Parts: sequence; structure tokens; C-alpha cells
Amino acid sequence: MLLFTRRPGRRLAWTAAAVASVAALSLSACSGSDPAGANGGSGSAITVFNGATGTITENFNPFSPTALQPTLGVIFESLYWYNLASESEPTPMLATGHEWNEDGTELTITTREGVKWNDGEPFSAADVAFTFNLVNETPELNTTGLAATAEATDENTVVLSFAEQSFMQEPEILGNRGIVPEHIWKDVADPVTEVNSNPVGTGAFKVKSFSAQSYALEKNADYWEEGKPAIDEVRYISLETADAASAALTAGQVDWMSAFLPGLEQLLKDQEDLAYVNTPALTTSIYTCSNAELGCEGPQTDVAVRQAIYHAIDRTQLNNLAGGGFAGEGSPTLLLPERDAKWIVDPEHKVAPQTADTATANQILDAAGWTLGADGIRVKDGQKLALTIQTVTGWSDYISLNDAMRQQLKEVGIDLTPTQLSWNEWNANQTGGTFQLSLDSIGLYASPNPYYPYNQRYHSDNTTPVGESAISGNFARYSNPVVDAAVRAAGSTNDEAEQLAQYAIVQEQIVNDLPYIPIYINSTLTEFNTSRAEGWPTNDDKYAFAASWKAWDNGIILKTITPVTK
Amino acid sequence: MRYVLQKLGFYVAALWAALTLNFLIPRWMPGDPVDIMISKLATRGPVTPSTRHAIELLLGTDSQQPLWQQYIAYLGQISSGNLGTSVVYFPTPVAKVISQTLPWTIGLIGIATIISFLVGIGLGTLAGWKRGSWLDNVIPVTTMLQSVPYFWLALILLFAFGSVWQVFPLNGGYDVYTTSIGLSWPFISSVLYYGALPALTIVISSIGGWMLGMRNMMVSTLSEDYILTAEAKGLKPGRIMRTYAARNAVLPSIAGFAISLGFVVAGSIVTEAVFSYPGIGSALLQAVNSNDYALMQGIFLVITLSVLGANLLVDLLYTIIDPRTRARA
Repeated sequence: MLLFTRRPGRRLAWTAAAVASVAALSLSACSGSDPAGANGGSGSAITVFNGATGTITENFNPFSPTALQPTLGVIFESLYWYNLASESEPTPMLATGHEWNEDGTELTITTREGVKWNDGEPFSAADVAFTFNLVNETPELNTTGLAATAEATDENTVVLSFAEQSFMQEPEILGNRGIVPEHIWKDVADPVTEVNSNPVGTGAFKVKSFSAQSYALEKNADYWEEGKPAIDEVRYISLETADAASAALTAGQVDWMSAFLPGLEQLLKDQEDLAYVNTPALTTSIYTCSNAELGCEGPQTDVAVRQAIYHAIDRTQLNNLAGGGFAGEGSPTLLLPERDAKWIVDPEHKVAPQTADTATANQILDAAGWTLGADGIRVKDGQKLALTIQTVTGWSDYISLNDAMRQQLKEVGIDLTPTQLSWNEWNANQTGGTFQLSLDSIGLYASPNPYYPYNQRYHSDNTTPVGESAISGNFARYSNPVVDAAVRAAGSTNDEAEQLAQYAIVQEQIVNDLPYIPIYINSTLTEFNTSRAEGWPTNDDKYAFAASWKAWDNGIILKTITPVTK
Repeated sequence: MRYVLQKLGFYVAALWAALTLNFLIPRWMPGDPVDIMISKLATRGPVTPSTRHAIELLLGTDSQQPLWQQYIAYLGQISSGNLGTSVVYFPTPVAKVISQTLPWTIGLIGIATIISFLVGIGLGTLAGWKRGSWLDNVIPVTTMLQSVPYFWLALILLFAFGSVWQVFPLNGGYDVYTTSIGLSWPFISSVLYYGALPALTIVISSIGGWMLGMRNMMVSTLSEDYILTAEAKGLKPGRIMRTYAARNAVLPSIAGFAISLGFVVAGSIVTEAVFSYPGIGSALLQAVNSNDYALMQGIFLVITLSVLGANLLVDLLYTIIDPRTRARA
């Protein structure tokens, strides 16, 4: 009888509904039946695979770094939402307006009227103030270094006061903080370890049932945006491997997932119901341990070697061999050439060269004193131009990248040795600086403003000597007083023209020094099943960052899609 | 009695050694849990020095504490039954993660192991009894299946019966779409249905070993003088096969069975990865990937206890079924 039941079972509908209601009484953890089963498989339930593997443990605490992914955006909402997939202004969510004072020490936020928590209580500016004060008072929750006290001056206005000038906190505050209800959270004994089993949020969905294998969210009937959401239920499942995920997708068991599937076009060719969108946003780059003064060792500490690598690699070939042809053109400024066009000052720096320029690479190396040895490898002062590049075992596209680059760099006399390590070891090397070259990606910050990558990747404050953990993000150990000053100057103003002038200085420096050598903008492929729901983002309409693992954007997509009526 | 006490003393010492290794091994691995959590957070947004501070406070890790103090604290926690808090699944206690996942593993792998042992021993007995029969000729086939790498066999069966013919589901422990956990027939039948293919792969890949071992022991036992005596006495062939030959021939297999029972928990990782089965193997994988010391130690403890427990049980069982072990002590 159970054979061939692949999706919300039609055959089992009536028995399942009857038994599930009994089970609901006996087990508090799973408090409900599946409406897809109960009403004979109507199309308004969709299934999401967001990369969860293994057993799922309950955690809907929006402050927790290990919260389940739909907690942010789908259940709890932020004041604004930033679309990182295309160039756009932040979208007002729980706030309708905001304004800084001139010194950047006070941020006044106007909150939305007519919003209700999913338990029926009204939302007000007091909840916003409570949320920010709770973070400020609890160091365990303060992962962004927020130093602000908040006060609700009336029903719809809240004022945040900062100890120092804080323009650059804006996207974190507005776009990256789930607002919680004061009437619930004031009684929470320990907000750090709270798992918030029955979350009360303002989002379009609320928790319906939970088990260690799967959980379901249901539509919030009181949601503030008229007529949304249209989908009744969203189910999240856990799968172990990419193989299992691709099998589940083609079998119609998953409606939304993000994975790099080799041969995607081929896979989807005969599947009418499946579609995909590509939202490239992360720049695959070669991280170099660049700074000999901080303890980096190897030829890559010579800027000429980094420049030679930059020119010697054939990015078109790399995209075809490793990127499946889906990758976009990267920029030596480490920004996204399309979305961030207005921030790239010199048009010459918009995109990195797409084909190999061995003449330039050879010329740079010759000028720097690297002479070609008898074995075809360059030598300087008795040191061979031999480098190792590390990546993680199982990251198949990065492994192919390394192999292809090995061939390409041989042309200019660079001997590249790829190594594969476990994720832990790779990560430990990268944060500790015990690597020569390492493949990783750069991107996805709180907002598209270049301040965030430039501060995190290039500012000396965010690095440490080799052997200490440079966890704040400047893994290249890059240190340049000109860049430091310009980044600080850009961060201390709200004026875009002034910021642009400072970024011009930064870009001039980093395009020459290349502590991170961009390869391409890696694809972020997201696959959809269009037979149950429609209105997903497309390549032409990237109204949100489509990846099924992305916090915040998931809430936007889930309230935008509509069920397919047959 | 002295024999039993000696054995128990040995097991206590082995337990202590295992617990100490459990403590040390994770700490020799590269990386530390705070860095790993931050690196994972960094893929979602920027991190600042204060992030590190917040995560350290959150996890309550104090890397400054000397190793021996951590060791004492660890032994103290274990003895009071407190396995600590998981980092991957923070703030869920380790005990809860284990209790969520262990029943699935014991259910699936445990039952599959018992089935393959019973069927393997039964068929091995018959094959040894009737040497040269068709059953005897099947043995090379089953041992060949055993020599095929397990994950490969499992993937092929999954592809054939899950994707091509769609007889069995592709992944999971039960039908999460239509049933919820509880003592109900749809749930139980769903669990059986979802467990059938993974169980089948385990049985297919391990049955050959049991059969071969049992068959060969049967053959050598059948050449013993007491079998000849029994035949001469005119006993029924069935009685000779079961009580005279099989009972003696099965002894080495029982020792082997204890070991494989002990490794039920440890050996589940590949099965669970292939079939996305929600057991303890996938939790261990997660723990190792994130240097989740507490969770790793908790799961290693379960593995240690199950291996030691199964061995102790068989040691004691041996004193009953094989009097010679007692005599030597």
C-alpha cells in the first residue's frame, strides 16, 4: 500500500489525517497533521531543502547563531530588508523610515502601524526598543559589537543612541536583527540558551509542527501585508548528501533547494516542472598569505608573483572546466561588476582579464628578478617559484580549479601544487596564516556598500601575526596604512560621494597589491519545482537572493510565491 | 566467580582508557569550535572581533584552562551523567541529540545485524551439513558481495530500487509528509518501509561472512570423532546437525557477533550518509566537522559502552555455553 507514495500521499490521505490527530494529542513535539494529506494533496504546501543534514534540533531563537534558518526572515522580521541579488534600495519591513543625526550617534526609526504578532498582540516601537536593549545588555548575544541603547519615544518611533559615530552599523541594525515581542521575551529566563519552541514573530509564517527529521511552518493569517502569503504550508527537510538532494529534486520531493549540480542543463532538460536561477554573488578568490612582516612565508609574499598569477590564469577556461560555464566575471576590486557598478571608480578595474596574458605575467616576473631555470620553473636567490594551494576535500569545482591553474601557471614558470585538506584543517590554516595560497569565496555582507568587504578583508585592525587567529577576516595579513586611512574615512560618513572618493584610494591600492586574487563570481544555483508553486525569482527578475539557505530573503520569496491552480 | 570478577576488573580499566582517549583525541584535531562557528557565521555576514568574544561567552569555552583541569572536569561530568552541551546544535544538550538519533541507528543497524547473523548462521549450517549442494555453491557469490565496498553496493541498490524502479524511498527514516512520530500504524509501517532498503543492503553485504565462517566450522566439526560416534549410535541427522555439530561450530561466530553488535553504532556512518537516515552516524559526522568536542565525546562514549557491553555479555555467555573457558580461569 505504501509503495510508490512519493509526495504528500493521496492514497493515505484519510488514514493519515485521522491518525495524525491522535498522534498530535500524544506527542507535544509534533502538534499537527499535514494539510496536504488532510485535504487530499492541495498544491499549497511546498518543501524546502536548505542544506540541513542529519538530525534537526529545535532552535527558533532569533539571537542564536545556531538558530534554524527560517527563524530569520520567515518567522521573525527585521526593520528593513536588503536585496543582495540586484542593485536596489532597502525595502521597508517593520520600519517605514529612518534618519541619522548629523554626528551619526542617534538613529531615529519610524515603525510600521497595524502589525500584529502571530499571537494576536499588537506590535509597537516598544518591542523594537526592547530587542536592541536586550542585545546591548547581553554580551553573549552581541555578535555585531552593537553599542546602542534604545528608547521608544512614542507608539511608532524609536531612537537608538550610540556611544560613538556609527553610520556603518546601519545595515546590521536595520537589516540583520530579528525583532522580538517584549511581552514574551521579558519573561524569558535566559535568552542565550532559550530554544523558543513556540516562536511568536511578525513574519508571514509560524511554526506548525516539529520533529528531528522535518518541521513545518504554516501561514500567519494575521500577516500585515494584505493578501500575503498565498502558500499555506512550508515543510523543511534534512538530506545527507548532494546526491540525495538531486535525486529528491528530480523525484519531485523538493520544491526549492540550492546546490551546484554538475550537468544541470542536462538534468533539467526533460523535466518540465523544474527551473533554476543563477544569482552569482560570491567571488571565488585565491587568498594569499601576503605579508612577510606578519610572518607569511613563500614566494607569494612578493607582489610581483601575485600580479603574475592574476595575469597568467585563463578565467574563461577555468569557468568552463570548473564553473560549469555559470560563473560571472569577477572584478579586481572584489566587488560585483553589475550590482556594484556605481562603486567601482576606475572602469578599467571593472572586470579582471578573462584570458591568460602570459606576456604580461612573464614581463612582471622577469622585472622582479625571477629567472627561468633549466626545468622551466623560475628561481630567485636560490628560491624556486613553487607554491602550494589548499582547498577542501570534496569541493569538486575548487579541486578542478586548482588542477587547471596548475597547468596554466606552468606556462609562466610557476610551479603550483594543489593540496586537499579536511574543512577543519583548511579553516585552521587560513585563519592562522599557515598557508601560501588558499581558495575561498568573498561576498555577501549586510549591505552592498564596499565598506564591509574592504574593512573586513583589507584593514590592519582585522588581521594578526601568523600563528594567531585572524578570525575577523583579513586572512591575507594585508596591512597598508593608505588603505586603513581610506576605509576609516569612508566609514565615518554617510555621504556617498565622499565614500566613493575614499574607495577610489582603496581600489587603486588593492588592484596593485592583490592580496586576494579574484578568479570569477561563482554561480549560486537554485533549483525550483514549478508544479506546485510559481512566482519564484528568475534570472531576469532577481527580486530576492534566491538561495534556499539565505536568511531574510527566504521570507520575501515565501510570501511572494503563489500556489499553482490546476 | 573469580573469573567474572577478573573480567569485570578488566572492563573497568578498558573503560577508563577509552574515556581518556575520548578526551584527548578531539583536542589533537586541528581547529577549535569557536573559530569553526565563526567561520561558518562569516559565510552569512561580516564578523567582528566582538563576534569572537560573544561566541566564546556563548559556548562558555575557556581555552586558557590547562588540559588536566579540563580532564578532571570532564571525568566529573561523565560520572554525573552530564554529557555537556553541543556546539553544532547549541543550546541542545548532547544527551538530547543522542537520544534523538540513537534509537534510529539501533533499530536499523541492530536489527539488520541480527537478521544477517541468524540467516547467515542458519544457511552456513546447512551448507556445511550438505557439502557440495547448491547452497554450498552460493557462498562464493555472497562473499563476493561482501568484498564489494559497502557504499558502492548501497548506492547501486539505491539507484536501482529508489530511482529506476521506485520500489523504495530515496531517503529519510519515515514519510515526513504524511505521518508524524507516534505509536500509530501509518508511522510504524512507514518506518519499516523506509528502513527496508538500508537494512537489505547491510544484510546482503554481511551475510557472506557469517555463512562462510559457519560453513567451514561445520565442516571441521563434522570430521570430529564424536560426530562419528553420534552417527554410530543411530541418532537422527537433524539432532546431530543441531546439537552436536552446530552448537560447537557456532562458538567462534558468537564471538564475532559480539564484536559486530558493538560496532553497530560506529559502523552506521556510511549507511546513514547514503540513505540520509536520521541516526547517530550522521550526528557524529556533524560533530567531527565542527570540532564539537562534547558531542563527539558523547557519541564515542556510547560507542565505547556498546562495544564493551557487548563483549562483556558474550564473555559471560561463553562461561555458560562453553565450560572450557571457566576451567581455564
